[in-house]
Amino acid sequence: MTATTTVRTAARVVDAVKVYGSGDTGVRALDGVSVDFPAGRFTAIMGPSGSGKSTLMHCAAGLDTLTSGAAYIGGTDLGSLDDRRLTLLRRDRVGFVFQAFNLVPTLTVAENITLPLDLAGGRGDREWVDALVDVVGLRDRLHHRPAELSGGQQQRVAVARAFAGQPDVVFADEPTGNLDSRSGEEVLGLLGRAARQTSRTVVMVTHDPVAAAHADEVVFLADGRLVDRMESPTAERVLDRMKAFEVTTRTEGPS
Amino acid sequence: MNAAVRLSVSSLRAHKRRFAGTFLAVFLGVAFLAGTLVMGDTLRAGFDTMFGNAASGTDAVVRSADAITTPGESEGVRQPVPVDLLKTVDKVDGVAAAAPNIQGAGQLVGANGEPIGGQGPPTLAGNWITDPELNAYRLADGRAPAKSGEVVIDRGTAERGDLKLGDTTTLRTPDPVKVTVVGLATFGGEDGMAQVTFTGMTRADAEKYLTARPGEAASIQVRAGPGVSQQELVDRLTPVLPKGVEAITGQESAEENTEMISSQFLSLFTTFLLVFSGVALLVATFSIHNTFAIVVAQRTRENALLRALGASRRQVTVTTLVEASAVAVIASAAGLAGGIGVAAGLQALFPAIGFPFPEGDLVISALSMALPLAVGIVVCLGSALLPAVRAGRTAPLAALRETAVDTSGASRVRAVTGLGLAALAVAVALTGVLMSPSLWLAGSGAVLALAAFVVLGPVASTSAVRVLGGPLDRLRGVTGGLARRNALRSPRRTAATAGALMIGVAVVSLFTVFGASLKATMDQTVSRSFAGDVAVSTPSFGAGGSGLTPRLAPAIQRLPEVDTAVGLGRGVAEVDGEGRALTVTDPLALERTFDLGRIDGSLRSLGTDGIAITRGEADKQGLGTGDKTRLTFTDGKTETFTVRAVYGRSELAGDYVITRAAWAPHRTQDSDTLVAVSFKDGVSADTGTAAVEKVAARYGDPEVQTRDEYAQSAAGGIDMMLTLVYALLALAVLIALLGIANTLTLAIHERTRELGLLRAVGQTRAQLRAMVRWESVLVAAFGTVGGLALGGFLGWVLVKASDGASDSAFAFAMPPLQLAVVALVGLAAGALAGLRPARRAARLDVLRAIATE
Repeated sequence: MTATTTVRTAARVVDAVKVYGSGDTGVRALDGVSVDFPAGRFTAIMGPSGSGKSTLMHCAAGLDTLTSGAAYIGGTDLGSLDDRRLTLLRRDRVGFVFQAFNLVPTLTVAENITLPLDLAGGRGDREWVDALVDVVGLRDRLHHRPAELSGGQQQRVAVARAFAGQPDVVFADEPTGNLDSRSGEEVLGLLGRAARQTSRTVVMVTHDPVAAAHADEVVFLADGRLVDRMESPTAERVLDRMKAFEVTTRTEGPS
Repeated sequence: MNAAVRLSVSSLRAHKRRFAGTFLAVFLGVAFLAGTLVMGDTLRAGFDTMFGNAASGTDAVVRSADAITTPGESEGVRQPVPVDLLKTVDKVDGVAAAAPNIQGAGQLVGANGEPIGGQGPPTLAGNWITDPELNAYRLADGRAPAKSGEVVIDRGTAERGDLKLGDTTTLRTPDPVKVTVVGLATFGGEDGMAQVTFTGMTRADAEKYLTARPGEAASIQVRAGPGVSQQELVDRLTPVLPKGVEAITGQESAEENTEMISSQFLSLFTTFLLVFSGVALLVATFSIHNTFAIVVAQRTRENALLRALGASRRQVTVTTLVEASAVAVIASAAGLAGGIGVAAGLQALFPAIGFPFPEGDLVISALSMALPLAVGIVVCLGSALLPAVRAGRTAPLAALRETAVDTSGASRVRAVTGLGLAALAVAVALTGVLMSPSLWLAGSGAVLALAAFVVLGPVASTSAVRVLGGPLDRLRGVTGGLARRNALRSPRRTAATAGALMIGVAVVSLFTVFGASLKATMDQTVSRSFAGDVAVSTPSFGAGGSGLTPRLAPAIQRLPEVDTAVGLGRGVAEVDGEGRALTVTDPLALERTFDLGRIDGSLRSLGTDGIAITRGEADKQGLGTGDKTRLTFTDGKTETFTVRAVYGRSELAGDYVITRAAWAPHRTQDSDTLVAVSFKDGVSADTGTAAVEKVAARYGDPEVQTRDEYAQSAAGGIDMMLTLVYALLALAVLIALLGIANTLTLAIHERTRELGLLRAVGQTRAQLRAMVRWESVLVAAFGTVGGLALGGFLGWVLVKASDGASDSAFAFAMPPLQLAVVALVGLAAGALAGLRPARRAARLDVLRAIATE
């Protein structure tokens, strides 16, 4: 753990607890998770359905609030921000790629990419955006509407948008969940390339071992707890780990 | 319950909010309609009772058989009957009593020095009939007039003028008469006969001030002895009456009175209100249609699932229609109750503001129950029909598609049909305006134009919103840009939403343009044809007021400051069998103070058998100078007049001019409507006016106005009417506003996930609210601009067609300030309508919005 503290962290959560509902019917989606997402790395969060991986991402990204514990983007404690400042933080320092419905249907590809910059009202770094367009390979589609693009193309636009504001960290929630394997490959490759070439931090939630294999590191979640981390993953190793892990949880039973 | 109904009920229960807008729109329209009908019936019944009570003691009325009716008047001028006829009547077997009824115009001056009434309803004076059975008025307080100068007035008038028993005031007949109030009377159980003022004098006074010649009365009231019916009395009277005199039963007389009030006041009033409820319901149609169209679009997947599971098209359509029926029936029933409540409220409110609403229970006829209900249900179901049919056409496959958002666009067929309609509308309207002036053609053009606007709406909305929203991109950045594109998303929906407002704004601007044009016409008339310096007139319109005494003009003429003072009197006569208004004046002085245009012949030598006619009338009747025409006066005498002059302008001078000398033998109660005065050279306006005012003060103190003031006061009634129109149209705008709010709320519901995405990538709540508000403003702007264009065009057509179809010249005027206000109100309505949906959108939970289903 000493290594991570010396490396600058782009985002982290400390003793994160998230309870939905209250009393006996309350569900502990996160049960004391502490995790760092080091700057310039592509991290995947894995776990079975209901493990709390989406909740972890939502809380780390400032879309949701923790019941107890703290979440940081860079040095900023998200718990200390009101809705407006949280929104501005998302706009300026965080990028998002969702599973579906990633683009505003009334805006063109170019406008969707610059949406966070436009919302901020500033000019942003147009050269950077211009370079991004080439990275995602959509120069000939800039003036099309999302409805005229394939699912893979739409997701690539979403990736470009997520990086357009030069955010500290990009969160991706099952970005390949709705794509066929080839388009998914493309998008994942893109995410990894963008992270490494531009030294941005990417945090991706996924349940697909193949997708997770594109990351630099995988963190495993189960029942709201951090159960393992894996450096330089491959699909097989992740799959094995998942299987082993399911067995463990099953043998542990309802303790 | 069958499946379709069960589905409808559960859907209604689940989406109560969605139908709130529809409910309100139907409710307001139906309430307005029901209220109007109930109030009209109640007023009519009230007047019936009132006149029935008032005339209950009169069994027969003896009066002249003919009346001369001039165009535009409902009640003709009836020649008087000789009072001597009383002797003949008294001798008839079965007559218990008879009394002459002398009637004329007499306006009372209130305690504050201002004349009472005169703004529409008549101001009457007459003899106080001493037989209480024959007198329509009952003495409520004080006593009957016993000597000259004593009067009884109706209690309503006394209250309005703050006059009490023993007070002394002035009665303008129009000669000012000093009178003392000795009694207060009621009419048919009410404080007065609606807003009509009445002053009862002694018979001698009435003959002296109200008739041209003593020994004449408007009619003779007759009471039957015991056992003689009204009809028997009339049958006995008829044979002894001279030619030209008739007898009618008291009941017929009362019915005539009711009819007169109904046709002059009530019908106008109810028609007016019915037109507005029509506008309100038309506007509601758009809102309702929109709501159902959106609901059906949102439910595409649900409907598709039903179809996939085996529901027939009909079942899906019926489900939607059953929902519409439920909303229609509930809203219409509530509206009916609301309307009756409004009528009851007005009945209580009117007396409080000084309008004696006849007492009695509310009259709720079967028609005023059935009609609003039927109209409400038909409007609601009719509006929902198309969306329901569309729901039935949902393909079962639609269930599998991603999202269902209504993106109906503008088809080519629509564009072609709309353009065709528009071209036809313009062609018909222009034909009605330019080629063969006819209001009928112009009106058809107007209706076609409205239809064209509705059809073209979706086509136009795309480009219109693009243009109107152009500045938004630059001014409001991405927030504005998003608002603009959201408004562009579904052109048909935007057009329907804006259409409601468009119709409201169109009607408002139509009235604004028409009112301004009328005022401009008045202005133009005065400035063109009035060459004098000041005008003396009594502020009144309609049948009210008693005018000016004919002695005023000569008195002003005697002032050293005055060059010419000419009084314009009014007379009526039948010219070749048609009732016409005559201007009775000094033709020479008339020529000096009014610009009469080109004159053929001369006004110098009209004498007692000459007449001057406007060119328009002369052409119509085929008359030229030197021709002879026959005039029949109200005293039944017919005389031959020679046309000695034909003049060009008729606006203020009237169409027929005869001298006072020619009129004198046939005159009734004399009064002038206007005295025009021009000063001598070198007399300043102030000194001249002051001198004229001093003289006027001695003759009942009428108002002395400069030319501009005169023009403005002549147009004063128009402003009053416009204010009323605006108040009523506020309802239509309110319904349109509800429509915009409802559509937006539904649209936001539809775009939940998109809004969530925007919030996630950094749109602040304030930006989100602004985006929704701007969309609302844009839609409103489209409606407002369309409405202004449509209303302006219709106003132009109406004014020009009236201009072409009538003799008098109409001026067309576009009042920029008022129209700018209308535009601002339209935009403000949009901003207002967007407030609630914007707030709801901003409350959206980001996580729930983006969470995958």
